[in-house]
Amino acid sequence: MTHDRQQDAPRTEVGRNVTKIDAFKLARGEPVFTDDIHPPGMLWAKVLGSPHAHARVLEVDATRALALPGVVDVAWHAQVKAIPHTRAGQSHPEPSPWDTVILPPKVRFIGDRVAVVVAETLEVAERALGLIDVRYEVLPALTDMDEALARTDVLIHEDPDPRGIAEGGRTNVAARIDKQVGDVEAALKSCDHVVERTYWLPRVQASHIEPHVAISWLDEDGRLVVKTSTQVPFHLRRILARILELKEADIRVIKPRVGGGFGDKQEMVMEDLVALMTLRTRRPVRLEFTREEELICARVRHPQRIVMTTGVMNDGTIVANRMRVTADTGAYGSHALTVQGNTGQKVLPMYPCAHIHFQVTCLYTNNPISGAFRGYGAPQGCFALECHIDEVAKVLGHDRLELRRKNHIRLGDTDPLSAKLGEGKEGLVRVIRSTGLEKAIELGCEAIGWGQRQEPTAPHLSRGLGMALAMQGSGIAGVDWGAATVKLNEDGSVNLAVGATDIGQGSDTVLAQICAEELGIRYEDVRVLSSDTDLTPFDVGAYASSTTYVSGGAVQKAARAVREQLAAIAAGRWECTTTDVRFGEGQVSGPGGKAWTMAELASHALYQAKVQPMATASHLSNESPPPFAAQFADVEVDRETGEVFLRRFVSAVDCGTPVHPDLVLGQIEGAVAQAIGYGLFEEVIVDAAGRVRNPNFLDYKIASALDMPEMITILVPTEEPSGPFGAKAAGEVPIDGPAPAIVNAICDAVGVRIYRIPATPERVWRQIKEAGE
Amino acid sequence: MRMDLTLNGRPAQWEAAPGATLLAVLRDEGLVAAKRGCETGDCGACTVLLDGQPVNSCVVAAARAHGHRVTTLEGLADDPLMRRLQDALVEHAGVQCGYCSPGMLVSLYHLLRACRAEGTRPGDHAIREALSGNLCRCTGYVKPVAAAAAVAAALAGIPATGTEAR
Amino acid sequence: MWDLKEYRIAGSPGEAVAMMRRGPGKGVYIAGGTDLFLFPPQCDYAVDINHAGLGAIARTPDGDVFVGAAATLHHIATNPFVTGYAGGLLAQAAAHCGNRPVRSTATLGGNLCNALPSADLAPALLALDAVCYIVDEDSQESLPLEDFFEGPRRTVLGDRLLAGIALPAAGAGWRAAARRLTRSAEDIALVQVAVALSVADGRLGAVRIALGSVAPVPMRAMLAEAQLEGEAVADLSPDRLADAGLIAASECDPIDDHRASAAYRRQMVGVLTRRLLAGLLAEQPRNDDQGSAA
Repeated sequence: MTHDRQQDAPRTEVGRNVTKIDAFKLARGEPVFTDDIHPPGMLWAKVLGSPHAHARVLEVDATRALALPGVVDVAWHAQVKAIPHTRAGQSHPEPSPWDTVILPPKVRFIGDRVAVVVAETLEVAERALGLIDVRYEVLPALTDMDEALARTDVLIHEDPDPRGIAEGGRTNVAARIDKQVGDVEAALKSCDHVVERTYWLPRVQASHIEPHVAISWLDEDGRLVVKTSTQVPFHLRRILARILELKEADIRVIKPRVGGGFGDKQEMVMEDLVALMTLRTRRPVRLEFTREEELICARVRHPQRIVMTTGVMNDGTIVANRMRVTADTGAYGSHALTVQGNTGQKVLPMYPCAHIHFQVTCLYTNNPISGAFRGYGAPQGCFALECHIDEVAKVLGHDRLELRRKNHIRLGDTDPLSAKLGEGKEGLVRVIRSTGLEKAIELGCEAIGWGQRQEPTAPHLSRGLGMALAMQGSGIAGVDWGAATVKLNEDGSVNLAVGATDIGQGSDTVLAQICAEELGIRYEDVRVLSSDTDLTPFDVGAYASSTTYVSGGAVQKAARAVREQLAAIAAGRWECTTTDVRFGEGQVSGPGGKAWTMAELASHALYQAKVQPMATASHLSNESPPPFAAQFADVEVDRETGEVFLRRFVSAVDCGTPVHPDLVLGQIEGAVAQAIGYGLFEEVIVDAAGRVRNPNFLDYKIASALDMPEMITILVPTEEPSGPFGAKAAGEVPIDGPAPAIVNAICDAVGVRIYRIPATPERVWRQIKEAGE
Repeated sequence: MRMDLTLNGRPAQWEAAPGATLLAVLRDEGLVAAKRGCETGDCGACTVLLDGQPVNSCVVAAARAHGHRVTTLEGLADDPLMRRLQDALVEHAGVQCGYCSPGMLVSLYHLLRACRAEGTRPGDHAIREALSGNLCRCTGYVKPVAAAAAVAAALAGIPATGTEAR
Repeated sequence: MWDLKEYRIAGSPGEAVAMMRRGPGKGVYIAGGTDLFLFPPQCDYAVDINHAGLGAIARTPDGDVFVGAAATLHHIATNPFVTGYAGGLLAQAAAHCGNRPVRSTATLGGNLCNALPSADLAPALLALDAVCYIVDEDSQESLPLEDFFEGPRRTVLGDRLLAGIALPAAGAGWRAAARRLTRSAEDIALVQVAVALSVADGRLGAVRIALGSVAPVPMRAMLAEAQLEGEAVADLSPDRLADAGLIAASECDPIDDHRASAAYRRQMVGVLTRRLLAGLLAEQPRNDDQGSAA
């Protein structure tokens, strides 16, 4: 977008740490989340999960359950029309395979949906689950991805209409990618060194503190209303309409405040079930996951094995890079193609070279379902690449910082891989038009004291430093788009309606700032309505780091259109041209000292000119400019116990213009906390039978306040020409680097490489022990 | 079973199932600041005060409240220390999704009220200890800890009045 | 949701036992409830002991410290009799158990009667020669804590009630320290070691090495203790301490689970025992180690 309001005017609203728009009501604990208010007559739903990892559901007998007083209805596959779809919650046409139906006749992981019950109370619904009699034909379970690849005698998806599955349900491959720039195999032969290593990435869970929860009912016109904790209200409406055979206009999706999403609420995890039961019973229905259900039945980050092969010359020039990914999508193929695509596409461009080869084999297994989780494949790829760069430096005997500096992507560079890999199809060429990476490296090194390792604090501890670089995107180029409506009121205040979805990250606030800046009013005069499919225009939703950049672009366009309308009204009154009308600081001024407050102009518009200044604008970007991060860890490692104590963590991040600097810092600090868990202690452990061994917060650990190191977070502003007021994304890029930075620091401290995270005390101890033997 | 208690400073009677948790009854009563997050006493989204002590109401029997004092975030709405904490959390951008905020605020309130009574000022570690039972997946704890430290620095000037101030 | 039919509130220990025996059906004692609500047992009624006069911590005329079964972990962590006993070993164990809100309601009795191999208070109590007091409707008996645990989730209690534990006066001046190894700050312990010892005239008197999370029940490493008792401190070279650690490691009986392997747990018993002994012998009783996992 190239012109904004008066180019010369200083920004007053963008770049200001305004009060987050919903912060007070949240801090007062007001009833603003989905489950805080229940409609009268509401029924409580519970899902009967499969006890088998792989089985046919032959017969369900709900007689005993229905006889229990208070039980209203039980549904299972034979009673529900099977319309194949994906619950991934993506734009149409969806790149994920349509391998799901609402209630499947074959269950594919422990916890998969067998039946759903609704009752007058939660207790009765829970008790009814034990009274549903099910006959299964148990099938062999595949829980190892290599076994899933090798076997075609056991097929997890052999459905007759396996639309979108890579090999048409003839194998267990859910998605394949094989893209090459140049000729890696040939190039490797001419390199001075070829370094190949294998890295393993765990299954982790988003663990938003608010579980998935949805409540549905029929309104007075018999339309279906679904109030839900979602990131994608419009995609949800589209999917629900298709699988429930309703018109989109007969479905209203309302997104209230959301207690965190991180990608896990991009998926339609439960909304179809409450909607189904409301349509069957004509009553309000509420379903909320327990934490145990979250850890078993929601989505996890795809576990991967990554083989990195790098060809490098003696002077440190990287000539060729190959990344081979084997991934486990679990029972269904949600995001199977696109998460794995991102593993290479968001990561390999960091070190441009003439020869790049990226291969993916993503497998169905009878494990919990993998899906979207903040970073979306990039944390896996970044871990492999950034550990690998340290390994390459070690082989070469070069400094790992200098090796990165020599090879990293720069302003004006093109990223050839992005052209080959779009959202599940050919993408668009990406040219770097803004980057603060060099500055971020410089500031980060200074903050951590790179090159000056601190003294360990006890004799059995060793200290080390590590670093990692990361880049991500800002929305999906040519795919993600959003719309916004700006409406001026007679006192000069503004209502902004957006389909963009505030899930706690603060997008309502940031979009209000962009609106105010463009209109020349104060942020405090903007009220935001977000995400009600009846009342707000379309937006793809909150994912892929798109909201500030893409939805913000729509808000800016809509606000500009309103400003142009106002300029015309003022020019008419003042008998001047619209270019003579200036906006800023709540004032509108014209030639000859003419001036109105925005309130006076608005009042004039509505009561004299009798027009409603209002506009809806849509915005799509054909670019996805990468934000950049340089991250640094200072650790101590206990050489005898393998414990890792993370002492300090530095992030230096270029997200373009920080529209709200404190919220950007909050995004970075929160992402780092999640990634510390990824690096050090988080793992959803699934045994060979497909059962989750640690489905609770007693045993699946996420970072507490006591796990956090001293945090130093630095913003490195740049001006992205294609972003609203120069903004790029911030939400995902800082989650990529911490795990490799920590593991590189462990290696610096004790000289051993951890190839498999999380780096638990035992894993570190084992590596140290093996190195000593 | 029937129970008599002091709820947010006022006498109250509840009728609840013998196995009900304190959280379930509070939410049924419309006191929804305490949230359901894990139901194992690990995330702290349900933190309330029982006889002035912070507890995870998801793993405390409602029956335990019989004859005792229960105070939720709603009951501290007019308490000067709680208001100061809420203001600080907002000003420091320590609220992101806000689902864990009520629990955090109750824990911090408990810490700072005790510090004010003792005339001490909690350091960063004491604040983190107090927050250790309140999991937050959004903020990385940096801004909530800073907010608490800012209130701690001005603690002596905050009057001790209100439901829980003793 | 816990499907209880009745919640009975006992006014005395004897009444609690009577209520437990009254039936019909199956009952469970409840104090804090923080463990019971995690995995609610199948039963018909709960007997609440919070009003049974078992919440106190007191010093007896003999100088023992008595901790009631219904004393909360927070109370234990901050009570001056406990913080002042044997370097505050038990207080520190209580302070590292769960999180702050859990410690407001979770109790000594709950921690011991659930009888998990990883019970956080057990190693400290074993190291301090704690004695259990068990009440029946109209009688009371005492036994050493070592004899209290029968297996994972099994104790000698039956339907009797644990009234509390006593820390004997003799141990009040012992040096003591403990360490628990975890994956993150707030975690189920992978390995716990608590060591208490007395030094007189340059010689070790009593030595207690207690282990948690490395056997079906919390246990003492008595062979390792025997290697050290009566030895002159000056003779205890680093190698001797390492040997004691290895003996303790050989005494434990850990399992492989998804948190850690048996081999790692066993090895860590050796490392932590050695470090704790060395720390205690270096005169300044101190709580070993660093940061978040300390």
